[in-house]
Amino acid sequence: VAGLAVFNRKMSVIHFFLKENGRCITRLENMGFRVGQGLIERFTKDTARFKDELDVMKFICKDFWTSVFKKQIDNLRTNHQGIYVLQDNKFRLLTQMSAGKQYLEHAPRYLAFTCGMVRGGLSNLGVKSIVTAEVSVMPACKVKFGFLQKLK
Amino acid sequence: MTVYNLYIFDRNGTCLHYSEWNRKKQAGISKDEEFKLMYGMLFSIRSFVSKMSPLDMKDGFLAFQTSKYKLHYYETPTGLKIVMNTDLGVPNCREILHQIYSTLFVEYVVKNPLCSMNEPIQSELFCTKLDGFIRSLPFFSARAG
Repeated sequence: VAGLAVFNRKMSVIHFFLKENGRCITRLENMGFRVGQGLIERFTKDTARFKDELDVMKFICKDFWTSVFKKQIDNLRTNHQGIYVLQDNKFRLLTQMSAGKQYLEHAPRYLAFTCGMVRGGLSNLGVKSIVTAEVSVMPACKVKFGFLQKLK
Repeated sequence: MTVYNLYIFDRNGTCLHYSEWNRKKQAGISKDEEFKLMYGMLFSIRSFVSKMSPLDMKDGFLAFQTSKYKLHYYETPTGLKIVMNTDLGVPNCREILHQIYSTLFVEYVVKNPLCSMNEPIQSELFCTKLDGFIRSLPFFSARAG
């Protein structure tokens, strides 16, 4: 499982790339996607198949998120129409950056990899999704999932 | 008992951070000059102390004191220098300065990719955490003793 030390190194890598090339957010998201695919295979190798969307989301928000970030999420909301919003008030990649508004404009880059990671995890569970993230006050972040199809 | 001020220098002599709490008298020179003076003095005193030591030395320069204040010094293997001025009632601060390095500097500056090393620290989070840490020290009192 990718440890936090690895994430911190990734943060520096992200910062380095972004100075060179603004299209990196897509590349980071894609890197995250591949990592998410791998992680979900490892995490679910002994788990039963998921019954429905809600089951998948529960797994992502509890087991997956906790294994990767070593902490639980703070809130999960849904409109029952395929949109879920996960809230983490102390997102591990932002806690050392700021506790308020400083550096806010830079936060989205550091969420791209994580969004890709979750999208990759969902993808290998058979769910196509769009995953975006929003930060208004550090270190809290909201990750928004839109499921593009019903779970088969 | 109290802490008057704190300086952090990198190995090139750049002052990365300065905070003060109960400093009653200023140096009478600009802050830039003050930082240069402090760093220059530290450089000389470390060299002096190791040359003139009558025994083989382990840690080198640790602190000096005057009739009114005590200056505590801590240097990391990477050349980061932390200097803290306190009043005379404060005992050895080595452990505390080390904590400032490992739990504050490393956590909120090194691990923040938006903080470039070797430049004055911009992170407000670091400043807030440092301030909170100093104020919570057992020998810190907001009214200078």
